[in-house]
Amino acid sequence: MIGIEDCLSEVMSIPGALDAVLVEPVSGMAVMGSGLPDPARSAAGLTETFRAALEGIALASPEGTVRIDNMIITTETSHHLIKTIEMVFDGPLLICLRLDLERSNLALAQWRLGTITDQLMAH
Amino acid sequence: MTPPTLDTVLTRLAADNATGSLRVGKDGTVYLTGGRVSYVECATTPGVEELLTASGRISASGVRGIRQASGPEADGGDLLVQKGVLSRGELEFCVLGATLDASFFLLRPAGTPRSRFKEGDTHWLGTHWYFDVPGLFRECERRRARLEQAWPSGELDGQAVVPVGRLNGGHVLLTASQWELVLAADSTATPLDLARRLGRPAYSTLLAVRELAAAGLLATSAEDEPGAPALPKRTPAKPSGDAAERRPPPLADATDVNLLIRLRDALEAL
Repeated sequence: MIGIEDCLSEVMSIPGALDAVLVEPVSGMAVMGSGLPDPARSAAGLTETFRAALEGIALASPEGTVRIDNMIITTETSHHLIKTIEMVFDGPLLICLRLDLERSNLALAQWRLGTITDQLMAH
Repeated sequence: MTPPTLDTVLTRLAADNATGSLRVGKDGTVYLTGGRVSYVECATTPGVEELLTASGRISASGVRGIRQASGPEADGGDLLVQKGVLSRGELEFCVLGATLDASFFLLRPAGTPRSRFKEGDTHWLGTHWYFDVPGLFRECERRRARLEQAWPSGELDGQAVVPVGRLNGGHVLLTASQWELVLAADSTATPLDLARRLGRPAYSTLLAVRELAAAGLLATSAEDEPGAPALPKRTPAKPSGDAAERRPPPLADATDVNLLIRLRDALEAL
């Protein structure tokens, strides 16, 4: 069982990790960031990304309602991994990790991110 | 003599590395640990106790039991984790969320309520998250800007939430919390009543109400009362990061006018 601070340092130990931020997407707040010059700005951008994806995917899905489990956005320099964590109230929380394109293994990173968030929520 | 603002009082306590509780009028309490804010409770927002009972994790009597069992060192939060009510991460997030929610309503910039500091007093949950005082005020300000951006009128904040009976368009997209609100709205409950009833933070309920209003999904009293002022026009949404950085429009300078006159003269001389 780990707390928020340990969770973030575990995430940063994933091979190829460049920076990470924990975002509360309802208010768009950066709960905690690591390796980022301006976590508040990143949180604002990631919140918009998540919201846009949620609305777009809801329209694109025949059933209409969706719950995003995770998102991967690959740019020319990095992978952005966005994973949702369901919370007791007012959820979800987003854990957002940026990985170096050359030095990371996407499958390994996704698996590690999953185990770390499980540890955060484990009773 | 008017009492000092809450901002001044808290900044002074932070500089003194104070530990204790600051009672703010009749509305709430700010808990400090070593000069940093560790918990805030406010009469109008649900605290950790209400959030936990509303989520069904523990009964109200269960919370009372743990509260009584927590010793003078205030380890109630640790007890909750040990009993498996919630994980350490969930506890931290719960404390953080409840603190920010209460701060938003308690630490209003204009208010100068009487406050009383009780040295050494701690909250029964113990200390599970910290905010530095300027950071907390900054976050409250950011949230205020976010609310204004969603719908720039506080008119609906204190009124009963009444969803419209008929949609203007063919379909509508709602977030999970907006859906809950529409379902729970009984045309008498205000946003704060609904937040309590649903066990949701008051701020996010207010935000969801304003977003619903912006989408034209709520009946506004302005439509019922002839002669009432119309709601302000909705401004196009901007990325939330820009809200705090929005600059006032530049003021016209006398030199600009002179330049324009010279330019006109030059053009006429051609």
